[in-house]
Order: sequence, then C-alpha cells, then structure tokens
Amino acid sequence: MKIRWILTALALAGAVWAAGAGGKIRFEEISEKAGVKVMHHTRKFSGDHGDVLGMFTSGGAAVAVGDYNNDGHDDMFVTNSDVGKPNYLFRNNGDGTFTDVAEPAGVTGGNDPDSIVADALWFDYDNDGWVDLMLVRFGTPVLFHNEGNGKFKDVTAQTGFNVFGNSIAAIAFDYDNDGRLDVMLGHYFKPVDLIKLPTPHVLPNDLDNAVNGGGVGLWRNLGGGRFEDVTEKAGFKDHTGWTLDIGHSDFDNDGWQDIYLACDYGTDRIYFNNGDGTFSDLTKTSIGFDTKKGMNVDIGDYDNDGLQDVYVTNITDEYMKECNMLWHNNGDRTFTDLSKETGTCPTLWGWAAKFGDFDNDGWQDLFVVNGLRSAGKDNYIPVLVNMITTPGIDFTDVRVWPKIGDMTWSGFQKKKLFRNLGHQGVFKEMSAEAGVDNDLDGRGIGMADFDNDGMLDLYQTNADQKALLYRGLADGAGNWVQLKLVGSGKSNRDAIGAKAAIEAGGLTMIREVNGGNGYAGQSTLRLHWGVGTATKLPPVEIRWPSGKVEKHPVAVNEITYIEEGKGIVPAWHRRKK
Amino acid sequence: MIRRNALILLLAAAVLPLWGNSADLEKYEKALLASPDDLRTGNDYRQAVIKAKEYDRCIAFFEKLTAANPDASNAFLNFGFAYVDKIPDAGSITQVILANTALAHFTKSIEIQPSWIALYTRGNSYLYWPKIFGRAHLGVADLEKAMEMQRKDSVKSYHIRSYISLGDGYWKMDDIEKARAIWQEGAKHFPSDAQLKARLSREGDELKEYIDDVLDPNKRVNTDLHELWEAR
Repeated sequence: MKIRWILTALALAGAVWAAGAGGKIRFEEISEKAGVKVMHHTRKFSGDHGDVLGMFTSGGAAVAVGDYNNDGHDDMFVTNSDVGKPNYLFRNNGDGTFTDVAEPAGVTGGNDPDSIVADALWFDYDNDGWVDLMLVRFGTPVLFHNEGNGKFKDVTAQTGFNVFGNSIAAIAFDYDNDGRLDVMLGHYFKPVDLIKLPTPHVLPNDLDNAVNGGGVGLWRNLGGGRFEDVTEKAGFKDHTGWTLDIGHSDFDNDGWQDIYLACDYGTDRIYFNNGDGTFSDLTKTSIGFDTKKGMNVDIGDYDNDGLQDVYVTNITDEYMKECNMLWHNNGDRTFTDLSKETGTCPTLWGWAAKFGDFDNDGWQDLFVVNGLRSAGKDNYIPVLVNMITTPGIDFTDVRVWPKIGDMTWSGFQKKKLFRNLGHQGVFKEMSAEAGVDNDLDGRGIGMADFDNDGMLDLYQTNADQKALLYRGLADGAGNWVQLKLVGSGKSNRDAIGAKAAIEAGGLTMIREVNGGNGYAGQSTLRLHWGVGTATKLPPVEIRWPSGKVEKHPVAVNEITYIEEGKGIVPAWHRRKK
Repeated sequence: MIRRNALILLLAAAVLPLWGNSADLEKYEKALLASPDDLRTGNDYRQAVIKAKEYDRCIAFFEKLTAANPDASNAFLNFGFAYVDKIPDAGSITQVILANTALAHFTKSIEIQPSWIALYTRGNSYLYWPKIFGRAHLGVADLEKAMEMQRKDSVKSYHIRSYISLGDGYWKMDDIEKARAIWQEGAKHFPSDAQLKARLSREGDELKEYIDDVLDPNKRVNTDLHELWEAR
C-alpha cells in the first residue's frame, strides 16, 4: 500500500515537472556593475540620403559569446559600427565583472572609412583549441587568429576571405563533415560600395519579393588556414534575396547540416544538405514561399519531440501584420508554422530571438528583442507610405526615400519573453514579470551562463544605444546540466553540429551545438538543459559531427567537459594547471 | 430592341454565376465589354477570378475597360474591388499599395456617380487603414453619406453593413459613445444580427481585439455584392 502510494506520488510529481512547473523566470539587469554597458554607434553616412542608408545599415549592434582564453568563463565580443569607433572584447573576470581587453588583444578595429562592422563570430577554424574571431562587415570580412596568449593576429589575406560583400550575418558549421569548420556569410545588399555609392539604385526592388539582394556566400575550409568560395558549387548562387540571418541544424537527422535563411523583403529559404557537398533548395515543399521580412533564425526543439524547430521574427506592428513564424518540424522535411497556435506570433518589429530554458524546467522558452528606431514624436510611417504608394516609384533608388530626420519608426517597443508551458503546447508572454521588458532598439542577443551558476543570462545589444546584461535568477528554478563538447578526429574541435540528448522527467531533450544561430548574436558553445527536480540522470547520448555516437555519464548542476573518444575530461583551464 | 437586349442581359446574368474556372473568365470579359457598367456581371467576374486566382488578369482587364469607358461608375467600383480581392494574396507592403490604389478607383466611381454602394465601399475601405494613417474620419464621412441615403430608403438587408462600419469608424476615432449609438440604431432594424451583437456585448480590449480581427488585412474581405440583388 505504502509502495503504491509512493509510486503514485512520484508519478504525480513527474507529471507536474513534465508539465513545465518550475520557478519563476526572473532576470536582473547588471550591465553597469558588470562593466559591459557600452554604447553602439551606427554608421553615419554623408550626403542628402545619408540617413536612409543609415537606416538600412542600422542592424550592426552585435554580440558574439565565446571563451577566447579557455578559462571556463564565457567572454563577449561586442561590435560597434561608426567610423573609427572601437569594438569591445569583454574578458569575463569570473566574479560578475568583465574587462574590455580589445586594445591589447588587437581587435578594436574594423570600422574604417570603407567598411562597417555588422556582426562577429567565434570559431576555431584551425582546430588548435582556441576560438578565432571573424568580423563580419559591409566591406571585406576580417579573420583574426587567436594566438592563445590574449592576442589576435589578422590572417584575412592568407585565408582568401578578403572579398568584398555587404555581409550582416555569419555562421560556422561543417557542411561537408570533414572536421574543419566552414563559413557561410549572409549578404544583405549586393556587393556595391555603400559609402562611395556609385549608383543610387541599391535598395530592394520590391518590398515583399525582392530579388536584388546579396544572397549568401559559402566558404569551404581547406585546412592550412585557407578557405575556398563554394557558393555556386554548393547550390546557393541562385539565392539573390536580402539575407539578414542564417541558421544551421540537422533538421532531418541524417547527419548532415542543413540551412535556413531569413530574408528581409521576401522569401525565406531552406536548403537541405545532400551529403555530397551540395544543397537542395526545398523551400517550396518544406515551408512554402513567404513575403515577410525575415529577421532572425533561431533553432531549437521547443516541444521536445526530438526534432529541431525554427523561430523566425518578422514585422507585426500596427501598420504591418506579418506574424512571426514558429516552424514546427514535422520530421519529413516539411514544417508547419504554429506561431499563432503557440502564442509567439506578435513581437512588433522583431530582431533577434533565442530559445533557452530560463527556469530550468525542461522546456525551452523564447526571448525576443524588437524596435527599429526610437526618436522624436513624429512617426515616419505615414511619410514612408506616401512614397510607397506613389505610382511607378522605383524603390531601389535611395533618392526617392524620404528623409527620416528625428522621426520614430517602430520605436519604444517592449521586449517579449515567452515562457514555454510545456505539454500545453503554448507559450505565455511574461517579459514584465521577468524584468526584461525594456523598450530599447534591440538587435542581438548573446545567451550564456556567464557566472556559471546554471541559469542562462542574456546580453542584449541595441542600435545607437547602450547594451544590457540580464543575469538569470534562480527563483525556484530547476536543476541543470551543461556540457562543453570537444570534437576530435573527424569532428571539428568546437563540436559544432554535435547533437546531445538527455532524458529526465519522462522527456527526451535534444540540444545541438551551433555556430552562430540568431540575428546579431552568437550564444555560448556550451549546451544547457534544465532538468527540473531530477538529481540523477541516465547517460547523455552524443552524436558527434563525425557520426560517432557515444554515451557518457552526466552530473546534475555541473558544467561537464566531454571530448570525443575520451569521455569526461577536465576543463581546459584545469588541465593547464 | 432595347427590350430584347435587356432580356439577353438578364439571361446572361442567370448563366454567368455558374462560371468559375479561368477558361470561362473570357466569357465574363466579353459580357463586360458589351456592358461595361454592369455591376453584377463585373461582380460575378471578380468572384470567378478569386476562385481562379487570376488577380492580375482581372486588374489588367478593368484597367482597359475603365480607360475605354471613363464614365462607367460601376466599372471603376469593380476595378477597385479587383485590387481589394488581391490583397490577401499579397505581401504586407504590397497590400498597402493595393489598398491605396483601390481607394483611388472607388473615388473615381463616386465622382461619376455617388451611389450608396460606392460610398459604403470607400468608407469601409478607409477603416482598414491603421489609426496611424488618420484615415478613419474620411471613412466616417463617406459612411455618414451612405447612411443618409439609406435612411431615406426602405430598409434593405444590406443596410446593416453601414451600421456596422459607421460604428466601427467612430470606434476607430475613439468616439465610443457614438459608435455604440450607431450599432444600437442598427440593432433596432436588425435585432438578430450577430456582428452587431458581438460589438455591443464587448468593451475595451475585448472590443478592440474583435474589431482588429475583423479589419485584419490578411483576411479576405467578402466583396461579393450579390446581397444587392437578393436584398429583401
């Protein structure tokens, strides 16, 4: 009788846990005391139409999270965009504060008169165990090699990357599973010099179906510090949209990384990896053609069904009712948009969004930033619509776009935090309760557990405004697991593309290491799970990019380092000692 | 002779609604070329176009028809509707362009002949524009004129539309009191109308959510005018 009662109680407890019960989601804004409350400056263009170009390039407030010095604490690289303005490399001091070491590290530059920094990416391109840094620019990219001593060396010229493009997004992933990280760059404009502006016809040719954007560039890592442009060979040449963000994942669990492209002014694209160095554009059958303003791609298994889903932000404001897209992965290379059904549709003028389990209850929540331009009391929209509705207008011509001056455009928008209600299949918006409902002009989100306390923290970059750092608070939150995976042999060292599954509370929760998913924000390379009340877990199953599948024991409430073929290993910084 | 032509048109009108596929669109077009101001045939043509999703063909046809018949008020009305019919299939910014173009054609129709249907249509169209564009007062002005016309007429079933839209217009101008008064006046004539009941039973955010949903540009607006001929 007693055993039966205990079993019933356990079953009930399991049901409550699995239903998403847990603590509150709460954050504390600590950017000032952490020393990371820095201002971003967008590029100021000269000439009569400078402010229009300024608007079109105002997306470059980015953050990239990575442990560049292998001390076990995630650091941040934060971009600036105006000419001469420095970037920041925030070394995590491990005590809740950061120190800007960009100057001694040699990575302040990039905003020269001909180039605008728009994004950044950490990845270990030479598998030497130290993450390297790429600056993504309206201009040529810059690749810095991490020398392992706190300094970086510009190696762009040797790598082959010194090709002009108006790039705004980048991911690192191993598309051909050769153990070396390749790079895909998302280009917004065509490769035209926006600063010298040889032609005024640089803007989208259609505001819902534009085909005169920059597309993407795929660079294959040849080893030896060299990269080759394989865009055409891999099947991406025909994509001429205005790429704003790129996400990668193995959507169909075939062991090969696939690609989702969020495109402004028109159709998002999904490409499936054929496993032979080429990709197939399956947009038509997989997601259909949309006309929305795709801004962000983040990827995660929000419903714990073992398949990676996609969240794309669009524009849903008083004057434009697009709705975001939460693409539920159907497991057959098709997706169904469930944003309305799940309550994640309206986030105003959306930018970055990130999946993360903010209360450690086993279900991934969503944080979304938004807001284009908060300025004076006059609104730009009626002025803009007068231009848009002028018969025969040529949208590509920067000269026809009205000056924005001090006008506001989709400004002062409250951020959105959606709590995943688990088996109910819906999310609840609770940004105010969580303390993250700021109304700044958000752009990127860098998510990591900066203080190694098991709670995810969020760094929010804002265009022409100061950044924010939200520290996740463990207000009754569940237990957690974090893994730092280290590839070896035929897997890249960062283990980007590795997929791991943990079972707890009747759920199987997968996570995949990604190399820069999410607009203007690379999150930690560590994997994070909330496991609710679970204190002991079955071994974690890891499928490495090499294809090897391993099982390893995993500890709750600890950060565990696992190396392919070796199992649990000491953290790098502990090994050095 | 006139009587014979009228009979042919009547027969044509009886047959035309059966057409629905794109191959038959040509027949409607021929009928309209013979009778450009025929509101009913134009309406049926557009409904067939919606089924066939041949929006651009329809727009191109009415463009030529109105150019050749600049005094055909109903042709301009259908021309405007042809743009409205395309809106749900368009992207969010193209929707704005289409809606604005539709308004221009409705205006032309009113300039030629300020009919109840044209005033109601343009007035209602203004309400789909978000508040930020400040067009609700223009819609109210048109709908007040349509209301004035229908008040002088015997009550027709389609008159319910003006009560609903005029009330929505006042609601959009933040004059809740006047909005309710109009909806209540409508309820006296149409006591069982579900749309009026829905508005009168809601307040505040709930009412806003309801009307925002009704005026969602992504939803197809029913532009079928059959009610005009079937009215009781």
